Amino acid sequence: MKETQHAYSPTKEHNPTASYVIGFVLSLFFTLIPYSLVVNKTVTGNVLIATILGFAIIQMLVQIFFFLHLGRGPKPFYNIVFFVATVGLILVTVGGSIFIMNNLYSNMSVTDITTKLAQKEGIAQIGDQPTGACQGRLQNHQVIIKDGVMNPATTKAKRCDTLTISNQDAKDREIAFGEHPEHSAYGGEEEVLVRAGYNKTITLNQTGEYIYHDHFEPETAGFLIVEP
Amino acid sequence: MREFLIGKLSGRALPHEWFTIGGSIAFILLVVGAIVLITYTKRWKWLWNEWLTSVDPKRIGIMYFLVGGFMLLRGGLDAIMLWLQQALASGSSQGYLTADHYQQIFTAHGNIMVFFVAMAFIFGLINYIVPLQIGARDLASPFLNSLGFWLYVGGVVMVNMFFLLGGEYAATGWLAVAPLSGTEFSPGVGVDYWIWSLQISGIGTTLGAINFIMTILKMRAKGMTLWKMPLFTWGSLCSMIMAVTVFPLLTATIFLLFFDRYLGTHFFTTTGGGNPMMYTNLIWMWGHPEVYILMLPSFGVFSEIVTTFSRKRIASYTSNVLGMIGVSSLALSVWLHHFFTMGAGANVNAFFGVMTVLIAIPTTILVFTWIATMYKGMIKFSTPMLWFLGFVGLFAIGGMAGVILAVPPADFQLHNSLFLVAHFHTMVVGGVLFGIFAGLAFWFPKLAGFRLNERLGKYAFWCWIVGFLMAFTPLYVLGIMGATRRMDHYEASTGWQPFFIMALIGGIIIMIGVAMQLVQIIASIMQRHLLADKTGDPWDGRTLEWATPSPPPSYNFTSIPAVSTRDAFYEMKLDGGFKKVYEDIHMPKNTASGIYISIFAFLIGFGFIWEIIWLVVASFIGMLWCLIKRTFDDESEYTITAKEVKAREDAAAKLPSATKSRIQQKEEMGLIEFIRIVLSWAMSIVRRKR
Amino acid sequence: MTTHAATLDHEMSHEEAANDRVMFGFWVYLMTDLLMFAVLFAVYAVMRESTVGGPDGAELFSPGLALIETLILLTSSFTCGLGMIAARRSNKTQVLAWFGITFFLGLLFLSLEIREFQELIHEGQTLRTNAFMSSFFVLVGTHGLHITSGLLWLGTILFYVNKRGLNAPLVRKLALLSLFWHFLDIVWIFIFTVVYLMSFA
Repeated sequence: MKETQHAYSPTKEHNPTASYVIGFVLSLFFTLIPYSLVVNKTVTGNVLIATILGFAIIQMLVQIFFFLHLGRGPKPFYNIVFFVATVGLILVTVGGSIFIMNNLYSNMSVTDITTKLAQKEGIAQIGDQPTGACQGRLQNHQVIIKDGVMNPATTKAKRCDTLTISNQDAKDREIAFGEHPEHSAYGGEEEVLVRAGYNKTITLNQTGEYIYHDHFEPETAGFLIVEP
Repeated sequence: MREFLIGKLSGRALPHEWFTIGGSIAFILLVVGAIVLITYTKRWKWLWNEWLTSVDPKRIGIMYFLVGGFMLLRGGLDAIMLWLQQALASGSSQGYLTADHYQQIFTAHGNIMVFFVAMAFIFGLINYIVPLQIGARDLASPFLNSLGFWLYVGGVVMVNMFFLLGGEYAATGWLAVAPLSGTEFSPGVGVDYWIWSLQISGIGTTLGAINFIMTILKMRAKGMTLWKMPLFTWGSLCSMIMAVTVFPLLTATIFLLFFDRYLGTHFFTTTGGGNPMMYTNLIWMWGHPEVYILMLPSFGVFSEIVTTFSRKRIASYTSNVLGMIGVSSLALSVWLHHFFTMGAGANVNAFFGVMTVLIAIPTTILVFTWIATMYKGMIKFSTPMLWFLGFVGLFAIGGMAGVILAVPPADFQLHNSLFLVAHFHTMVVGGVLFGIFAGLAFWFPKLAGFRLNERLGKYAFWCWIVGFLMAFTPLYVLGIMGATRRMDHYEASTGWQPFFIMALIGGIIIMIGVAMQLVQIIASIMQRHLLADKTGDPWDGRTLEWATPSPPPSYNFTSIPAVSTRDAFYEMKLDGGFKKVYEDIHMPKNTASGIYISIFAFLIGFGFIWEIIWLVVASFIGMLWCLIKRTFDDESEYTITAKEVKAREDAAAKLPSATKSRIQQKEEMGLIEFIRIVLSWAMSIVRRKR
Repeated sequence: MTTHAATLDHEMSHEEAANDRVMFGFWVYLMTDLLMFAVLFAVYAVMRESTVGGPDGAELFSPGLALIETLILLTSSFTCGLGMIAARRSNKTQVLAWFGITFFLGLLFLSLEIREFQELIHEGQTLRTNAFMSSFFVLVGTHGLHITSGLLWLGTILFYVNKRGLNAPLVRKLALLSLFWHFLDIVWIFIFTVVYLMSFA
């Protein structure tokens, strides 16, 4: 089948063996250069990345031309069009993903954002997770609520100490900071619910002097001084 | 041992809820009914030889229509269930579905309508029409085509399989967004069914698309340059090129999800450095172009219809083609508009918003070329033309809603609302489904040999358009009022219930339209002699498919016509037709390899779903074996000699004119006439029994 | 002349036109495969820093091994090309020899890759460890799977060449396979650059 062989033969005029040898030698060359650049650290950083990517693209073109013989078949037009379109689409896929995902990472990394915000505000814990705003807890202070009285009435503490409120009465207490009825948040906590017979510990991460009270019985109140 | 043999399967996997029991019974009844019918009529051999193993794109096209039509009814049932639930579940009433069941239904509805209805009809149309339009005898690789079809059927079976085993489908939305689709939140087999039904049919789509590209680019009749191709072929080419560029992305993405679920990798998980947002990014890279893959052949259908029924050339062929190319290239770079609200910065959102709005330009050009074609044309308002006009109206509404959604600040208000649901239904129903219906009405005489009943077709159209507007206009309003999508219950104080009830009524009217279409087909079959198309050219067509008899012989053309102009057949008719020359014809042999490979692919999926590893391995080996057997079989063609061709054509010409039908009529029957005939037929059976 | 499909190039015979179509169709398939790899590259690029405190590429990979793998695959691509020239000259012995070398080099490449994977797993770095490892194993593993299927395919063709002799359909299959093989070489160059070399940059 003589005609059939012609259909396969992409290089009618060229010497086919020469084409493969040239391609092979060039490919070796374009593999070893980026390798030695990386191993010897001749250049570094983005320049290096750009260089080795450049070599990869050149080597791809070399192989496309000398091994795959793109553009030298009997009817190469559509093959070239599809190849170019695919390369374009790969750039869209990979480039687009990186573009979008980097943007999303910087905007949307939830833990990062909350942590940064908490640290900025000096909030030591969110839920029960420490944010890292307080490094190393120092001392634990105790306030016992019994028969509607806070004991001790005044607590003196340093920043990042912890305060345990122990409710020994038979009813729930909701500890709020500031004067009743207008409350202010303390350390990220609006109101601290302490159930009857339970304890609750908060981290004292804001310095200053604070009144705190039971929101249900405002006369049950205490005073808190947090020094830096 | 038991675990090795049947994996996760157990008695609990059998149906035990009302909907799985109902679905299973329906499924089994259908299969048993079909088997009984075929055995009773002794059609097994005929079915196997003439249809199932056929590689004739015309036969495969018709099989696509049948399966797709069945799935349309299946997906439509889902839609009615969703409408009913929303109309009922207000305030203290919880409706008749549980939240979980509701989620499964809308997921299945979306998957079925996009993958197993729209894609099926589009592939059916392309299969049947494109080879005829470009003057080819078959496809570049008839086997690949058969394989693609059977993989699609494998997907269809898989998506209905959960009724019988497992009892749950994915409850994740049609794209199975991560991390909801991960094992942490969806531990059941529902998502696995989703993965494998899409994976199997998706690979079939890729193979089919490669095949059509080969066919269109390499097998056109002599003289038909790219710029003389019929517009439906152009639309199909653009669509198939998009399919080969984005379906690999879907396949890869679903495989990654599969790895997350089976191998415990961390691509889209919330732990281990995985990123669920990457899933959204990748899946929409396929998801957006997918809509245009469906839309572009539909555009092509409309171009053919407008030119034929306006009896004019297309107003500007070049703009039309460039418009389609423009749509397909822009469609590849807009995917982010599906997740504007995911948190990308203003630059990213602005870029993709602008790209999205730009798509309106080529689309508008397309619509203008059609309108300009109609201008001063001799328009005949037959059913295909009505579908086209319905499309233009809906497309304008949906398109404008789309432009609103393309603007990021507006999208922040409207995303995830029923406004969006209304928008994409307007586009997909108005653009794709109407295109398919128009195409089917237009080409039905070619594939059946007789026209469809016009009167009933018009009833169906009006039911569809009125029903559609009633069903989806309220959703635009509801969306703006704040109703979110995928919602199975709402508070009575919202005041939404009247709108939902109106939508339900619209849905019922659409169902009447579907029923009307079924009646139309049955009535047309009853009156097939009256409606017979003897010339092969019932509409005074313009492109080469009308140069063949209806239905065409397996080899399509006795001799391949030489083409010198656009609208080749129209010009030929002006020149006095073309002469028949008899010549040897090479045709592909039928093959069952596609069926076997698809069965093995199905079993691989099934084995993975239920973790039956031996089945996976065995099926994989079986599949490889079939592939090797097939590819190393060099005897896949046979030759029909010129003499045989002539004998066949002469025999066809001598065929005695059709025997008289029992129903003698002068004109096409209407609905009342149809009901009367059916009733009298039923009465006669009852009487005979007595 | 009897033309099956009177395509634009009516001077082509039925077989030639069929060959042309198949070669083109296979080329389109390769492009779809390339796009699948594009997704895996995109995932790798996005997740290469998601080590969750674990070791990164510079600590895990060895540039020397990657270079050896690259050279092996490159040589196999070269011998595959030489085999193709022999196939066009209908020289069965040379075809078996060159493609035999290709097969052997492919096998060598694959065994080196499997050894690399085993070592990583031995160090406790599996594809479950973190997103970086997941994307590494899947990207490189997918390439390895392609090599495996290429070897299976090549083995089958050589079996039939031995049995049936070098007929036209088999030469066509060899031509398709050599396209596939060169293509895998190109994909590997990017894996070598993006996965291995860039880890040390």
